[in-house]
Amino acid sequence: MKLKHPESCIRCGICVDVCPVEMVGGHAIVTFLADPEATDYSVWLCTSCWRCHESCPAGVDIYGLMMEERRRQPPPAGYRAAFESLLACSLALALDQDELDQLRATWELQPAQIASPDLIRSLLRRSHESAEE
Amino acid sequence: MTLDLAFYPGCLVLQRMPEYELAARAVLRELGIELHLVQPAACCGAPVAESFTADWVYLAAYNLALVEQMGHDTVVTLCGSCTNALTRAGRALQDPAVRAEANRRLEPAGLSIAGHVTVKHLVRLLTEREEDLRARIVRPLAARVALTNPCQVFRPGEVMRFDDPTEPQSLRRLVELTGAQVVEYGGENECCGATLYLSNPRLSLAAGRRKLEATREADFLLHSCGNCHLLLRNFQNAFVRDQPGLRQRALLLPQLLGLALDLPAMELGLRKDPLK
Repeated sequence: MKLKHPESCIRCGICVDVCPVEMVGGHAIVTFLADPEATDYSVWLCTSCWRCHESCPAGVDIYGLMMEERRRQPPPAGYRAAFESLLACSLALALDQDELDQLRATWELQPAQIASPDLIRSLLRRSHESAEE
Repeated sequence: MTLDLAFYPGCLVLQRMPEYELAARAVLRELGIELHLVQPAACCGAPVAESFTADWVYLAAYNLALVEQMGHDTVVTLCGSCTNALTRAGRALQDPAVRAEANRRLEPAGLSIAGHVTVKHLVRLLTEREEDLRARIVRPLAARVALTNPCQVFRPGEVMRFDDPTEPQSLRRLVELTGAQVVEYGGENECCGATLYLSNPRLSLAAGRRKLEATREADFLLHSCGNCHLLLRNFQNAFVRDQPGLRQRALLLPQLLGLALDLPAMELGLRKDPLK
């Protein structure tokens, strides 16, 4: 389903001017905001710098809109891998407790315990799943 | 008297950048601040979990609940992403319905959340102690540094409520305390592009290259976010393979400050003093 253009957006294009993705030739959600007919953009192209959000004269929640749309679309490999790592070892990069212990010992930092992945999965379960229990 | 503060390093610092934690601890110890690890911690939730589920906020709530369980009302962060995610989650938790759901999910882990934790990035914590820091500078540094303001520490302004959201000055002031000269290159408020690496490495490197090309006059790049340091320092070989002239030394904020406090380079996670 095509992303709905926010009614409050005035298509001024200021968000395009400040977007670091656009500055290097990529097309982020801001391309769509400036031109609702545009199709050559990706909601996954974003650096989370919030400059568009900060400079939008109409107060459009660009970040929120983008995140909602991401949840409806297939993720790129890097995001999928990071999310899988999060579910498997509670952190966004693949490094288990033993490896972390070694790394911190090398730097003479005190050990750091990572949360149990089971706990993380239960925190992220959908609301309706927990309501059915 | 020592001030004890909770400390959330986040994935990047824990897994890829122990020198950032080491240097931050060393500098803060000089100011009488001791950091206590929030554990067993998990990812803050953004932007990874947030991209997959609106429930990411409960992941952030878990980390904040650990801070409350420690009896602290402030948690110190080093990365922009964690600072931003935990602050936004803290704001979402002000909604009684969100807080109730968070508490329902946290209860099996023996945790609860009231929602009173303030998240303070290192730049903010040090800015609050600027005069104390100034008084302790014993080694003025003769270096030209190009800084990148950590985007997510300042924006969205209505949530982060610290400094000017589009043209923040706090990092510059901290750097100038050391005597170092801040090189103007016009990209101080431009994102490094690191988090773009997850979706498009080519564009992420293009953003990083822009920054390296613009900062060639500087002796050092100066970072106060794990994302910037990861892309512009740890991944630097990806840029210099084609353009060796882009090679640039990079320091983390507490490393620069630590040198100005005349702390040994080793205590700052540096193999040798980069100014000697």
